[in-house]
Amino acid sequence: MKQLALFITLSCFLLTAQGQINISGTVKTNGRPLPGVNLRLVGTYEGTSSDSTGAFHFISPEPGTFTLVFSITGYKSDSVKIVLDSAALNLSLTMKADMIELNAVTINAGTLETGDNKKGAVLTSLDVATTAGAVADVVAALQTLPGTAQAFGENGLFVRGGTGAETQAYFDGMLVKSAFGSQLPDMAGRSRFSPFLFKGTSFSTGGYSAQYGQALSSALLLETKDLPEKTSDEFSILSVGVSAAHTQRWKKSSLVVGGSYYNLAPLYSVIGQNIDWIRAPEEVQASVQFKQQVSKRGMLKIYSQFNRTRADLRTGFGQSQDPADIVNRNNNYYVNATYKDETSNGWKIQSGLSLYINNETGKVNANQYKLDNDQYQVRLVFSRYLFGRNLIRTGIESSYNKHGEGWNELGRHFNNRMQAGFVETEFYLGSKFVTRVGIRTENNSILSAWNLAPRLSFALKAGIHGQLALAYGSFYQNPDDTYLVQNHDLDYEKASHFIFNYVYQHSGITFRAETYYKRYSSLTKYDFEGYSQNIGVNNFTNLRNTGKGYAKGFDIFFRDRTSIPGAQYWISYSWLDTRRDFRNYPALAVPPFAARHSLNIVYKQYIPWLKTEVGTTYTFSSGRTYYNPHNPVFLGNKTRSFNNLSLNISYLTRVFNEFAVVYASVTNLPGFNNIYGYNYSADGTKMNPILPAANRNIFIGLLVTIGDNTFNH
Amino acid sequence: MLTRNFPTGLNQSTLSRNRNHIRLIITGLAVFLFTAGLSAQDRFTAAIRKGITMMDSTASSAANQETANYFERIANAEPGQWLAQYYTGLTLIYVGYDESKDRETRDLIFDKAMEFADKADKLHPQNSDIYALKGYILFMKMAVAPQSRAMTMIPASNTLLEKAIALDPANPRGYLLKGQNLFYTPEAFGGGKEKAAVLLKQAAVIFETQNNNGIEPSWGKRRCQSLLDKIN
Repeated sequence: MKQLALFITLSCFLLTAQGQINISGTVKTNGRPLPGVNLRLVGTYEGTSSDSTGAFHFISPEPGTFTLVFSITGYKSDSVKIVLDSAALNLSLTMKADMIELNAVTINAGTLETGDNKKGAVLTSLDVATTAGAVADVVAALQTLPGTAQAFGENGLFVRGGTGAETQAYFDGMLVKSAFGSQLPDMAGRSRFSPFLFKGTSFSTGGYSAQYGQALSSALLLETKDLPEKTSDEFSILSVGVSAAHTQRWKKSSLVVGGSYYNLAPLYSVIGQNIDWIRAPEEVQASVQFKQQVSKRGMLKIYSQFNRTRADLRTGFGQSQDPADIVNRNNNYYVNATYKDETSNGWKIQSGLSLYINNETGKVNANQYKLDNDQYQVRLVFSRYLFGRNLIRTGIESSYNKHGEGWNELGRHFNNRMQAGFVETEFYLGSKFVTRVGIRTENNSILSAWNLAPRLSFALKAGIHGQLALAYGSFYQNPDDTYLVQNHDLDYEKASHFIFNYVYQHSGITFRAETYYKRYSSLTKYDFEGYSQNIGVNNFTNLRNTGKGYAKGFDIFFRDRTSIPGAQYWISYSWLDTRRDFRNYPALAVPPFAARHSLNIVYKQYIPWLKTEVGTTYTFSSGRTYYNPHNPVFLGNKTRSFNNLSLNISYLTRVFNEFAVVYASVTNLPGFNNIYGYNYSADGTKMNPILPAANRNIFIGLLVTIGDNTFNH
Repeated sequence: MLTRNFPTGLNQSTLSRNRNHIRLIITGLAVFLFTAGLSAQDRFTAAIRKGITMMDSTASSAANQETANYFERIANAEPGQWLAQYYTGLTLIYVGYDESKDRETRDLIFDKAMEFADKADKLHPQNSDIYALKGYILFMKMAVAPQSRAMTMIPASNTLLEKAIALDPANPRGYLLKGQNLFYTPEAFGGGKEKAAVLLKQAAVIFETQNNNGIEPSWGKRRCQSLLDKIN
């Protein structure tokens, strides 16, 4: 009777294939109905979508055991096993919002990310380029973000009471010895790298990852773009010079060759200068950039750049009562080669090699001076995701640097080798809590000592669009090269950061509040009469690591990209309380680069019918301290507050049928009289205000792109 | 063949009765297998055809979601059929159109659409329509946050659409979507309605000559016309 049994089974099967089973129910999330959910029986076409009341109903033509999957974007997919027999089925399903995908908690205390695609990005590269007053300088644009101070007369990015040297730039992970050109007396320079090189910038105001060292205050992570889309040419004519670049795109590789020449003489002849220029600044720059997609995820990038600058000026600087004539020449070569790839078992490898050679020569009156700085670095980092989003990352670095100084016939130099290693993990407890634990160690031959820097961060989801975060870290940095060359018995300078923040981010609105405490120890001190300047070569005696200090305060940032059509604005405010005893300070004092209140308001508006983007930036900074030899309190005097209102206009048009931008910018439009501080002559009888190079700067330019119809640079 | 295995000792009549049964079973089985085998493809074609009808007749965002869900079910059940992946990607674009959804969700929808387009691309490489779809998705993703994405994503989308045109110059959707990109890109940024019109007219000419009875991609004629109407 086997065959009969088979027949009956088969018949039943064929018959019941026509039999229909009703499946119905509702899908809810947090008690609310969830419409649009896709319900499907795995392996079949069968299923349906939930309606506006979260209810669903469909008919399965087959009995049996099935998996019913229910999914919708933004919620965690789930499934249930169901047995379909003749009885109708009624299901009550619930779904949870998928924080991981939609609003995952991330490590962000102390970090301000900028980038084109990144979640949590605060500024895009275009924002950097179009921020009024920044004149397409990455560092100047970052000065509109919370936690930073106006640079005034010194190179660098001043973060939360730190000096400019406490912020380090990392170019695709590789430490850049200095992102700035020569320091001219009482003048802040532009950074060397074009903002258009980078697709994203992560700017950390503290508590950053163990991947980065040698920065007491802040890490500026610059991430270069990938392959350009098209072969194109572009050139620009500016009121300060010309530049041109050719981009060649092949199937899997690209080459960009560019050059520029800037000469500020014509501009300075029109705009009144507070500086007595003998020869206005001049700059020649050339760069070559090669990128190759080696494998699916393998990417090789080689960037090299050459800069040469020169400027001569007369200043009332220094210890003499007479003005000094300064001559400055700077040649800088930079090469950065990185390769990243992924192995078949999921390890990500990033390797890099960089070369930095800087030669500065000059004169202070009849005295010749010379500063040479070289750095070679190799870096290798492995990282891998484990069990979902958890991550482990480890790496090693090795670098060699050489610093030489010359004053007329005299000369001195030192070499240093640094070895560093780090390991760090990020792990998630559910989707609402993440922690990052890392440790970094460094050895410097010049200091003949190891350091050990633990870093710790936590982040906790607070509401769907908000999160709270906490960060702690120890940070070490070598004393400045100019100290190390004079004394080889110094030790690491140290800072500890404690940061607490709250971030809310939703549909174009970002609100961020952060409070911090930073403790400095082992800062370098020396004996020196008066207040030292930083041009040429200085001699310091009794160099020692007995300095200390603190910085505490809070930052507020609010950004809105949705409320006004075609417009965006951000407001940042920082309150800072800092004192430090370092350099030749007799006691704890407020350093000149720290302002108690800093406020930035940036507004940008695109006007379609004019094809114009207008941007404006208002900056306020409360008075800064200066050294007055007649005041018994060191750095006891304060300047008046600083105000600046900048405006820029970009008009998009066509020149000879090619895409073009006409650009104009004005800094300090209302003509505020700003004073950065005062210099005193050695005998204290003469007092000269330190003024901006020009009260008001005007800058115009034309940028043309050929061969690419779309907006690129 | 089955008879060989029959136990011995059965009488003839039983055997013949059994034979009848066996014949019936074999016939039944053959019919079943045949219809099952044949209908696998037919069923798929019919299912896609039904989806296309849904796609062409939907107007509300809820209906768009239903259509995308419908195609996603087929795509999941038929992981080897590129058309199922293709239509899921396409209909997810319409889901992402809904501006009442927040940016983050729309971003995820377009990411999901791109995943399906990539699956289709793997199953059916170097296909003009799949490249056109990818270009379409990328442009829509750009539109979620144009201020930060226009600079990189518009050129990337156009590169994909140019490849779609190069792969099959007779595919009207390559021209349509490139024209649509130009239509929605401000003139000052290299777009504009005049430039769009040239490509849209090119697409319209091809749409006129094509009949669309199959389940292969044939959409776009109406969209092309509505854009052209907006220009004139």
